[in-house]
Amino acid sequence: MFDFLLHIISIAGIYALIAVGLNIQSGYAGLLNFGQIAFAGIGAYAVGIGAHLGCSPLLSIPAGMVLAMAVGLLMAGLGGKLAADYWGIATLAVAEIIRTLAFNEDWLTGGPQGISGIVMPFDAGGQRADNLLFAGVIMGLLALAAIISQRMSRRRFGRALRLMREQPQLAVCFGYQIPALKRTALVVSAALTAFAGSLLAFYTGYVSPDYLLSSESFIIWSMVMIGGLGNVYGVVAGALLVQCLYSFIPFAKDLIDINTDIAGALRLGAVGAILLACLLGRPGGLFPERLRKIP
Amino acid sequence: MKPLLQVAGLSKAFGGNKVLEHIDFTLGQGEILGLLGPNGSGKSTLLNAISGFTAVDAGEIMIDQRRIDRLPTDQLVGRGIARTFQLPAMPERMSVMEVVMSAGIRHHGFWSSVLPLPGARLAEREDREKAAALLDELLLTQVRDLPAAALSGGQKKLLGIACALMGSPKLLMLDEPMAGVHPNLRNEIVDTLIRLNREGLSLMIIEHDMHFIRDICHRCIVLDRGHIVATCRPDELTHNAKVLEAYLGTPAQPLPEAV
Amino acid sequence: MLQFILDTLIRTADLALIAVGLSLVYGLVKFPNIAHVQYAMIGAFISGYLLRAGAPLWLAGVLSCALIGLLAVLLHHLVFRRLLRSGPAHGMIGALAVSMILIALVLGSAGSAPLTYALTVSRAWAWGDALISPAQIGSIAITGLLLMLFTLLLFKTSLGRSIRALAGNRELAAASGLNADAITNGVNFLSGALAALGGTLLAMNTSAYVNQGNDLLLPILAAAILGGLGNPLGAVVGALLIAATETLVISFDFSGLSWGLFSFVPVTYINAASFIILIITLLLRPYGLFHREVHRV
Repeated sequence: MFDFLLHIISIAGIYALIAVGLNIQSGYAGLLNFGQIAFAGIGAYAVGIGAHLGCSPLLSIPAGMVLAMAVGLLMAGLGGKLAADYWGIATLAVAEIIRTLAFNEDWLTGGPQGISGIVMPFDAGGQRADNLLFAGVIMGLLALAAIISQRMSRRRFGRALRLMREQPQLAVCFGYQIPALKRTALVVSAALTAFAGSLLAFYTGYVSPDYLLSSESFIIWSMVMIGGLGNVYGVVAGALLVQCLYSFIPFAKDLIDINTDIAGALRLGAVGAILLACLLGRPGGLFPERLRKIP
Repeated sequence: MKPLLQVAGLSKAFGGNKVLEHIDFTLGQGEILGLLGPNGSGKSTLLNAISGFTAVDAGEIMIDQRRIDRLPTDQLVGRGIARTFQLPAMPERMSVMEVVMSAGIRHHGFWSSVLPLPGARLAEREDREKAAALLDELLLTQVRDLPAAALSGGQKKLLGIACALMGSPKLLMLDEPMAGVHPNLRNEIVDTLIRLNREGLSLMIIEHDMHFIRDICHRCIVLDRGHIVATCRPDELTHNAKVLEAYLGTPAQPLPEAV
Repeated sequence: MLQFILDTLIRTADLALIAVGLSLVYGLVKFPNIAHVQYAMIGAFISGYLLRAGAPLWLAGVLSCALIGLLAVLLHHLVFRRLLRSGPAHGMIGALAVSMILIALVLGSAGSAPLTYALTVSRAWAWGDALISPAQIGSIAITGLLLMLFTLLLFKTSLGRSIRALAGNRELAAASGLNADAITNGVNFLSGALAALGGTLLAMNTSAYVNQGNDLLLPILAAAILGGLGNPLGAVVGALLIAATETLVISFDFSGLSWGLFSFVPVTYINAASFIILIITLLLRPYGLFHREVHRV
């Protein structure tokens, strides 16, 4: 049981990091990015390919982040003339193109099977000790990311993003350059998300094109919307909640003997229902973004 | 008086509709210029053109003898221009204080917002103090922690002025600042603007409120259907036949002073 | 060459009706309803079950269309109408939530195995050196017929005029006496029915399966966006373009161009080709190919 809980905490922590990344784009900056998972996938594949080639993680992780940031710039470049919903679909298309590449180019990515056998970069002696250490590292990184994100939102850059989100005309009037703000938000978010993706590859030991499915982007959106768009601590809570649902329902499958399809249906339906309930009843999420008071 | 703003040959048409035709005027340093005219005369378009919200078809706009008509809107703050809006739309999820603090910043300050850089805390405190002082001047201190969108129409206008002043502009352009403002506040605002003017701020104001124009403006220009029809002092307005024709539509005799 | 044309037409028929439905609804709600493709998936399943229950194909199709049309109207009233007040972002996420619930319902009741229609398999017809099956011909014919009827409806009837007016400017249309609510219901019903029909025709040629909606999502969005969201007939052209691109990419022998380095693009790159076309188009024409579509203020 302890191992299972540790597993949930680790996975939830990694997804929470990705959700914090999405929150910077969609919560603070108001960007409707449906291809977020591409950044995580790139980070994961960077680690996988690096492990395959015998590179140290000190090289493969930053390489993944840089590549993800480049894709982020690409997405920002698309955003120039596009209306929000068109841009959202364009980002979805970008993620799907990357997934198709990962699926097909097996000389690089291992094709549909992906890359497995990625070992953790440290050894604490024993499986459980490794997992415990990793969970601790993830929690520490998550705390750091959340604190920095919160701090950023309360300062100049955060104010700039939120002004752009709500009154772009006013932001322009005050002298902000909207394209530059979008680029920065995307690049920062991409780097953080890629890092989380790298952690995921290390934790699970493998990477496959399934990491890049559009349904993954949608799950992250659910976490962010249920938790509280614009509130980094809400977003973390949302990630934990959704991950618990995702993990406990298959657990129940073993306990009360329901078949795989129904288990899959239940967890998808549960997340969808909670998301819809939040949207209709509590649009700001469980922990809505609160007005930031200046002392 | 040194010229601050120079407009020469400005023309703008929307489709076939000529909204501004060959507008020429100068605003001197330290001057308060009133921009008048009936609805549809092109006042807002002129303000939009100078503040970079509308592209011009022909003509030049210069601040301190440097052309600004080709600049993108966000760069005009750097040239010392600030403006307010007739119907200010304010953010819902930012407090009044946050909105003012975010005004007048030319660089978004990403690194100083994330890392504990040495100058960051100082810059943040300077912004805070300047914003608090401006809110105080415009009598908005008691609403500083409210969501900006929750303010009344008149308060939002004052907030717009505070935001415009945050960047320490040389030229402040106001689009109907008095409309919707409580009469009690009026005199405070007039006093504030006059004081700022004495400290070196130049103003261009679109207004219909004649008392306000007379209290504050040094000079007025009157637009009618895209042309400047008169340039005079505020007290000369009611005697100017062209002005009356613009507003009333027919050539008229000068009206008695009581009007 | 003939095979290429036929394959393109078949794929266009797969996409056209569903894309038209999506574009039609966009005119009303001003956001792309990503749950729309799930209507096609459920419609395919309902037709399949009715067929299994003994209904003739035409009846199964008609009932499926009616039921999904009603579902679309219901969901609009219960969910989308309320979400729209908060903006298109909430609309899209709401559509996402609805999609999840719909997929969950189908997964839970029908399972993850595909449902085939068990129609009598007839031999493919040969036409020159091209092959096409009667079912595929049926798809193309029905799609073509319905598109013609739809065009007539939209441009020759007063209902069609009202729909176009409402899509153009809702307040003005309502103020000039149009019954906005009734027309909204009608448009939702029609788009749901079109989706169900499209899904049924698709399943007729392959099978109904729970992931069908997700697989259709990006091609349908690409087709609708290429044509300009809110421009239903543009969506048909968009579908044609997507179909042509896909068919071209997998049929074309590139060995001549690449000095024999590679000949055929792998089949799984089909979709990627369409999305690249979509992104390039959006870069050049941010509102789709035909600028007459509805702009949000």
